[in-house]
Amino acid sequence: MIQALKSEAALGPPSLATAARIGIGGPVGSGKTALIERLIPVLAGRGVDLAVVTNDLVTKEDAERLRRSGLIDPERVSAVEAGACPHTVIREDPTLNIAAGDTLEGRFPGLELLIFESGGDNLASTFSLDLVDWWIFVIDVAGGDDIPRKRGPGVLRCDLLVVNKTDLAPHVGVDLDSMLREARGVRSAKPVIATNARSGQGVDAVADAICRAVLFAP
Amino acid sequence: MRVIDRILGRRDDTEIAHRLHHLEHHHAVDVLTIPSSDVARRRLRATTVGGEEVAVALSRDQTLFDGAVLVLDEGHALVVRVGEQSWLRLVARDKADALELGYHAGNLHWRVRFDGEALLVALDGPVDDYLVRLGALATDGRLTHSVVDPVQAH
Repeated sequence: MIQALKSEAALGPPSLATAARIGIGGPVGSGKTALIERLIPVLAGRGVDLAVVTNDLVTKEDAERLRRSGLIDPERVSAVEAGACPHTVIREDPTLNIAAGDTLEGRFPGLELLIFESGGDNLASTFSLDLVDWWIFVIDVAGGDDIPRKRGPGVLRCDLLVVNKTDLAPHVGVDLDSMLREARGVRSAKPVIATNARSGQGVDAVADAICRAVLFAP
Repeated sequence: MRVIDRILGRRDDTEIAHRLHHLEHHHAVDVLTIPSSDVARRRLRATTVGGEEVAVALSRDQTLFDGAVLVLDEGHALVVRVGEQSWLRLVARDKADALELGYHAGNLHWRVRFDGEALLVALDGPVDDYLVRLGALATDGRLTHSVVDPVQAH
């Protein structure tokens, strides 16, 4: 996608730019992997050449799930085992993830987008901009409608906040509109998108946000 | 939309400075203002002071900096200006409070600098958002705080 934009713009010397790198973080069970499973076909359908790096504590569970999904060439999925607090390998010392991304870029020339999925963490989790250019934080309705009010750094600082599992709101006593309003309230002008990763609702909007922010779609 | 995939040099490099000086006479030097919190991004889209929407897509071994020249041709230049970083200056009342303050700053993963007996915390949001995280240290007057002029912090 970016190559097409560049050739249209006729910008002189050939590009040295490497793949865009985005992060997807959030608490355990909020739906990060489910969101990625939905995003892969949507982004592929838009012609985006992508690969994924997953992070787990002491296993490769999320990577294996994606490799088995049939949605993506298993070779395009790498796993990093954090071994300790998941945020340490996406923020304090992202070396392992940077290396995994570099390896994938070397293996797949023409790669346009690398998605780094964090291990499930807490509301304080944030990504280093040394690792990613832009990042999403995923929370879910069933985690409680008080999560935005807790003003965790993940919720406040991410470039896009995704509130997932909207279908569960009536079953867990959550007023979705109120939760979204509070989320937007604590994030100033930064965007919030509601999704149901099971049905795919809202996933196109997330893909739009990614393509616009780092692949420079209109 | 213009896509910028490399930094051409620094605005004070001799040859570049000469060309910029010439272009400035023709009001042909545009500025891309980047908040200090965004300067580590390799990719972003932004609107220049002159109103042009641009996309930055640098390779992983390049980062933006104040004075980075992104465009330099016969009739136009684009130079980066990084917004200044504000710092919250915290001084604990005594050693015990200083220990507690250090614990909080580490536990909260704040970006800090040391300045003698003061702890400087990089401000990426309102001051009150930081003070409230310090709980009783702030509410009981066990530390003093002030916002440091960015120039003084360097």
